[in-house]
Amino acid sequence: MNEKKIKVLLSAYSLETHSRGIITVASILRDAGMEVIYIGNNRPESIIESAIQEDVDVVGITSMCGGALQLGRELMRTADEKGVKDRMKFVLGGIFPPEEEADLKKIGFELLFKPGATSDEIVNGIRSIVGSSTS
Amino acid sequence: MDKKKTTKEILKEKIREGKTPLYDQETIKKTDKKFEMWKNTKVSEKDREKWEIVPQTILGSEIPRKLLYTPLDVANLDYIEDIGFSGDEPFTRGCYPNMYRGRVFTMRQLSGAGSPEDVNKRLKFLLESGATGTNLALDLPTVQMFDSDEPESIGQVGTVGVPIDCVQDMETIYDGIPIDEISSSIVTHYPRNTAIIFPMFLVMAERRGYDWKKLPGSVQNDVTMECIVRRAPEYIPPADAFRVQCDNIEFIRNEVPRWNYITLNGYNLREYGTSSITEMAVAFANGIAIIEEMQKRGYDPDWISERIAFFWSVGNDFFEEIARLRAARRLWYKIMKYKFDSKQSRSQLERCHVQTSGISLQRIEPYNNVIRAAYQALAAILGGCQSLHVDSYTEAYSVPLEEDSLLSLRTQQIIDVETGVTQVVDPMAGSFYIENLTDIMEEKILEEIEEIEKQGGYVKIIESGWIHNRISRFIEEERRKIDDGTIKVVGYNYYRQPDVKEPPIKCQEVSEEIRENQIKKLKKWRAERDNDKVESCLDEIVDACRSGENVTYKTLAAARAGATEGEMRKKFTEAFGLWKQPLVL
Repeated sequence: MNEKKIKVLLSAYSLETHSRGIITVASILRDAGMEVIYIGNNRPESIIESAIQEDVDVVGITSMCGGALQLGRELMRTADEKGVKDRMKFVLGGIFPPEEEADLKKIGFELLFKPGATSDEIVNGIRSIVGSSTS
Repeated sequence: MDKKKTTKEILKEKIREGKTPLYDQETIKKTDKKFEMWKNTKVSEKDREKWEIVPQTILGSEIPRKLLYTPLDVANLDYIEDIGFSGDEPFTRGCYPNMYRGRVFTMRQLSGAGSPEDVNKRLKFLLESGATGTNLALDLPTVQMFDSDEPESIGQVGTVGVPIDCVQDMETIYDGIPIDEISSSIVTHYPRNTAIIFPMFLVMAERRGYDWKKLPGSVQNDVTMECIVRRAPEYIPPADAFRVQCDNIEFIRNEVPRWNYITLNGYNLREYGTSSITEMAVAFANGIAIIEEMQKRGYDPDWISERIAFFWSVGNDFFEEIARLRAARRLWYKIMKYKFDSKQSRSQLERCHVQTSGISLQRIEPYNNVIRAAYQALAAILGGCQSLHVDSYTEAYSVPLEEDSLLSLRTQQIIDVETGVTQVVDPMAGSFYIENLTDIMEEKILEEIEEIEKQGGYVKIIESGWIHNRISRFIEEERRKIDDGTIKVVGYNYYRQPDVKEPPIKCQEVSEEIRENQIKKLKKWRAERDNDKVESCLDEIVDACRSGENVTYKTLAAARAGATEGEMRKKFTEAFGLWKQPLVL
């Protein structure tokens, strides 16, 4: 386990109405000893802005109603422009069509959590991607 | 000022004790004696020790259940007072005397997704397949009151519902559908977007020559949705949202009298994360607050409550769900009769739409969801719902496609015509277990209404964040129970197969073209309307919000002039200012 507490920023895109998933994930990560900052609903630019301000290790996005790919591209473009794309890890949870999974990974989401992802999968997944970059 | 009595206190005071029990004392005594003997001689020690167990189900209420129920559990049951006859006080047995023999539950599958043109086709397809009402889902931008051309809407136009930017979209969606014969449910969610979207429906109707007074249907119009369940970039204060909710009610009751002006939405609250008891307590607390506000505005509670409708989630705890639907009818009747002195039956009816529980469905082994939804649907029907939506088994993958919606509709039709359960009204009545559980559910819901009232009522529990915190605790707790296997989910944490593969499930394809087309249509729309007129109508929305004048008449005028949804949203925020939702985490 890392000595430094892993810091995770959680957000939904602007119009997302659902939050049960992200609240659940927040409690899972906190129970696992991570520091969690949940910033509610935001445009991709402000998500990146907050991530920089808070200097987080991981940015977790929830997407339940579509648009994961289009908005994901915007998020990654901003991260790239601000020069933080390699400094932070990006993970995505929610409902998205299986056909989009490859593209979502390609644009930069290292982990995709679908409904039914277990707490262990989420915690171990995040630890492993953060560990692999800091060690 | 006198301390206001709680609903529970009022009911306790006004409902007479001293009933005529169904079982005489002699029978009860004899049964009791025999029961003790049986329990001590025939029942194993292990079973005696664990006589009561607490069922652990997703979104269940955790009311302990005994191994066996007997007349002793309903010793004080008064048949006439507590159960009675269908379509008669206290309505435990159902809203109407002949129930499904007279009219089967409305099979109202939610449809949306795609462009207004696509959705028009889907509605017609479902109607041709035997659906008896339409149920319109809106896309995220429309729900959140954004126009398709606003940057926030990127990627989300037409995904989980249909985009409605202005009146022309309503015209496309309902083209060729006889809206005076087929009732239209429009899932507007919030008071604010009800004030914006429903007038667009009415303008469409008047242009097609329909008399508003004859239109049947419903909107959601619920503060619970706007200020508790919803996540959003911005909120208006709960008291203002409540006021818009009541403006809509006043407008609709007067102008579109056959329309259900509110669907008190327990469903989304529960699916978000509450027990089946909180679900109903919060909805009833809002219902009570509405009638009190309407009394202040000078209306008769009997007239107002004729058109209140409820919307419940039905989950996995089969008997609890049946008992709860029965309990809700009896409790609402008592509230209307004893708290609001209602004189007419119609106003005492707790009519409800039910949707099977989406949150109980799994992505893993998705075909199991067909079974889950079918049991839930059966519970809803045994509980006496007025209309029903059965969730699609693909829920954890995508918005249902046409064939998925058809399967849900078929589930309802099979229960209706192949199982025979609809032939007899309230068939579970008289079961010692069901009647006992019905009593307990009623009592628990009433207790929670009191808990809400003691904090100042419905709007106060939102302002204070009490309800938000209750929800986040519930979500955490339930997650832990699923993690440690206390709540068992077949195929997921119970007998999970190693390396289970996802079956090929067809998902909705979302085309960015839908947004591009909406943007094109919007451009043309804005170019062709009288923009000065639109501006002045929009300003009047702000004025009405500030002065207290009914704002729905103003949004109607704006819709007629061609204002778009996003334009109207901004005026509400301008007038009311922003509210910060009490942080959930």
